Amino acid sequence: MKKKILSLLLACSMVFGLAACGNGDGGNSGNTGNADNSGNGGGEGAGGVTTENITLTFWHYEDPTTVSLLAEKFMDMYPNITVEHRVIEDMSTDLSNAAASGTFPDVFEGTDSDTALANMYWADISEYFDADPENQNLMATISEYGIGCFDTSARFAVPMMYWPSAIFIDRNVIKNLNLEMPRTDWTWAEMVQLVKDATKDERTGMKYYGLGYYNRLDSLYGIAACSPDERALKGEFGFDGTDFDLSYWAVGEQEFSDLKLAGYVAPQQDTAEMEAWSGNWSTWFGATGRVAVFSEGFWTYQNLWGQEGYQEEYGLDIVPYVTPNVVDEKEHNVIANMYMGGVSTSCKHPYEAYLLLKFMGWGIDGWKARLEIYSDTSITNDSGMPLKNAQMPMPITLDEEVWEGYKALFPQDDRKPYWDDYFASVTRPVPYGWYSIAGYWNFCDQYFNKIGIHDLVDKGSAKAADYVDEATRQANYYHAEAMISYFGPGGYDVLSDEELAKYQAVVDSFN
Amino acid sequence: MEKEKKMKKPKVKLGKLEKREARAGWLFVLPWVIGVAVFMLYPLCQSFYYMWFNIRITPLGTKFIPVGTGNFTQIWLENPEFPQQIVTYLWQTIVEVPVIVVFALMIAIMLNGNIKCRGLFRLIFFLPVIIVSGPVMNMLVSEGAATIPAMNVQSIKTALDNFLPHSMSESIGEIFSNMIMILWYSGVQILIFLSALQKIDPALYEAAKIDGGSQWECFWKITLPTIKPMILLNAVYSVIFLSGNEQNSLITMIKSAMFSGTKEKGYGYASAMAWMYSLIVTLIVLLFFLLLGSKKDIYDRQVKRRKREMKKEARTVKRIERRGIRNAKKIKKARKKRNYRTYDGSGDY
Repeated sequence: MKKKILSLLLACSMVFGLAACGNGDGGNSGNTGNADNSGNGGGEGAGGVTTENITLTFWHYEDPTTVSLLAEKFMDMYPNITVEHRVIEDMSTDLSNAAASGTFPDVFEGTDSDTALANMYWADISEYFDADPENQNLMATISEYGIGCFDTSARFAVPMMYWPSAIFIDRNVIKNLNLEMPRTDWTWAEMVQLVKDATKDERTGMKYYGLGYYNRLDSLYGIAACSPDERALKGEFGFDGTDFDLSYWAVGEQEFSDLKLAGYVAPQQDTAEMEAWSGNWSTWFGATGRVAVFSEGFWTYQNLWGQEGYQEEYGLDIVPYVTPNVVDEKEHNVIANMYMGGVSTSCKHPYEAYLLLKFMGWGIDGWKARLEIYSDTSITNDSGMPLKNAQMPMPITLDEEVWEGYKALFPQDDRKPYWDDYFASVTRPVPYGWYSIAGYWNFCDQYFNKIGIHDLVDKGSAKAADYVDEATRQANYYHAEAMISYFGPGGYDVLSDEELAKYQAVVDSFN
Repeated sequence: MEKEKKMKKPKVKLGKLEKREARAGWLFVLPWVIGVAVFMLYPLCQSFYYMWFNIRITPLGTKFIPVGTGNFTQIWLENPEFPQQIVTYLWQTIVEVPVIVVFALMIAIMLNGNIKCRGLFRLIFFLPVIIVSGPVMNMLVSEGAATIPAMNVQSIKTALDNFLPHSMSESIGEIFSNMIMILWYSGVQILIFLSALQKIDPALYEAAKIDGGSQWECFWKITLPTIKPMILLNAVYSVIFLSGNEQNSLITMIKSAMFSGTKEKGYGYASAMAWMYSLIVTLIVLLFFLLLGSKKDIYDRQVKRRKREMKKEARTVKRIERRGIRNAKKIKKARKKRNYRTYDGSGDY
């Protein structure tokens, strides 16, 4: 009897366990392809927002404490909408699992646009975006270059989190080396000259290095090489909206490699070179007080240098500079990290989802709520860090009130003029390729990174110029193929016959 | 017909108790049967079906685009990483498996000996199996815990480079970089060998010692032949373990292809990769089976041959008997018809 009961229990637990694994909604085997923008379902309140009680899910990359507080503010504005959110760990894994299990979020941010476009995750939100007057006051390149439209007439995404590239200078190092601080609207050549001048090996103590890098200079140069008059470069690798031209990249790549080989660039963390220089394998060059210029991420200031007492502890005095242009013009494009956000094709309440997207990303209401949260340093995240030090992005709206509040979060002492100049010069962002160019990631993944161009050129065993022709051909092919696949009849179907023929010709010529 | 009926086994109706026991037995194995059906057979069939398609999982449903053998040609012709990794994997597995098995056997023999704190040592050698799994193992590897600091791996690689092709020397060199990790993989194998060693009849050793056999001879003549089937079992287990664990770069590659957002990859591409990989793993298992599969010894072969001969003799006897019966019947018939004569000694037949 005991045996029988035990076996029954085992079998039952197994069956119930399996039943619990199922998602219960019968799966999504239909294949309609296009976004479901069929309306709001139920009654509509003021401004076309539904009066029904609905729940929207938002997946993102931000600090969860910040998003929880923002979600509360959004729910105060729309009491019938409940917002649930979670942080994305790995975009393709999380989203493909969610799509397979029928639990896809209504709104999400993405770091790799190819994944979202190849699988039709983002819905066309042109209808809502174009009709929204607030969007007229965004940074110019967003509409000028169609950032989030991916060279089509439809809008699938909007930049949500914006971090422009930045060059930081340690004033203490410049002072110690008896050098002059450069002007804030400097040129590329002036920056390179400063890097060279600030590299000094006095044989007594640690060597001074001109440059410490997180962002490779060739990435920055790709956009910096574009003169403000032509403004033809809409993306990395000389992308002009249709074709690539890697000759721009090659100049920057070679220059950076030459600087590295000539000893102007500080060693990276966790390397034997770093141990030889600083005596410690895990030292970060940004905390040595021996590096003059940094091509660091914008967030490095907030997350590290901007923390109270950090600069004093390491003897630093960091100020920001705009990534310079090759031409001496004040207003120019800068390369930037721009996480794209969109409404998913499976969303049942696309308008409400758009409102949530805007609030969490670029909307003025959302930014006002953010500024309240960021200015209160008593609010901290799980790591005990004030929220302005935890991945705070920069607004893409040009609203003056928002910018006034935002600037107040940065140093107000003698460093203020540097910050003001910096903020004034980052109003024309151009995102890194993987955010805004279809097929870019495929090109990098399957060609560029595979042959290890960076390593070969950095070691001096190859010249960047040797790769230009083939890399340009490959990049154009991957882009054209992606455009047909994502936006052609098998995908969103938003390309005209002429556009399709144009991309097809590139693919055919490659084969 | 009657004969056939006679040959068939009579159907025995199960008694009440036997029926109950059979039911209980089925209920006990039911979780396993369900597990195999749901988590093994179903995904297996599904992945076999998937590999002929380019699959896009959109929020609105799954798109299956038939590509025929497109996934395979793409993997072999357009993904240089896969063939490279397969070659590396082949070399590493072929070298690592014997290392693991020999190490496990040595440790098992030591742990089977009469030593102090034997239980504790057995626990220590099995601990890696429990502790070092998944992310813990990845962290240990990244911290350099898998290497022996005193071993100059670079020199070994350079030396190997002198007389082996680069891809081969690189793969073999990697084994020295991960020597500790490889030895950590021996936990289960030690346990299997230990249980096999404990089952060897001590009387065999006693008899061998009486005949003047040394420890060395006992190992080669008694221990090794007795545990030979376990060597094959451990070799197969090691191949499967090395092929499926998280440190295997091919597994990582398949996993990343599965969740890749790029349009060429995805579930279909990953399924094709996984099937080709499993085919290669099967070939390696077959190779070890051919090398280590038990061959009967001379005595066994003689017994088998004698049995065959005896069966043949029995068949011949039966044939003669049948012929005799047939002839007897013929004679009987002929006598009835009176045209059967026996020799009467007249000289005429």
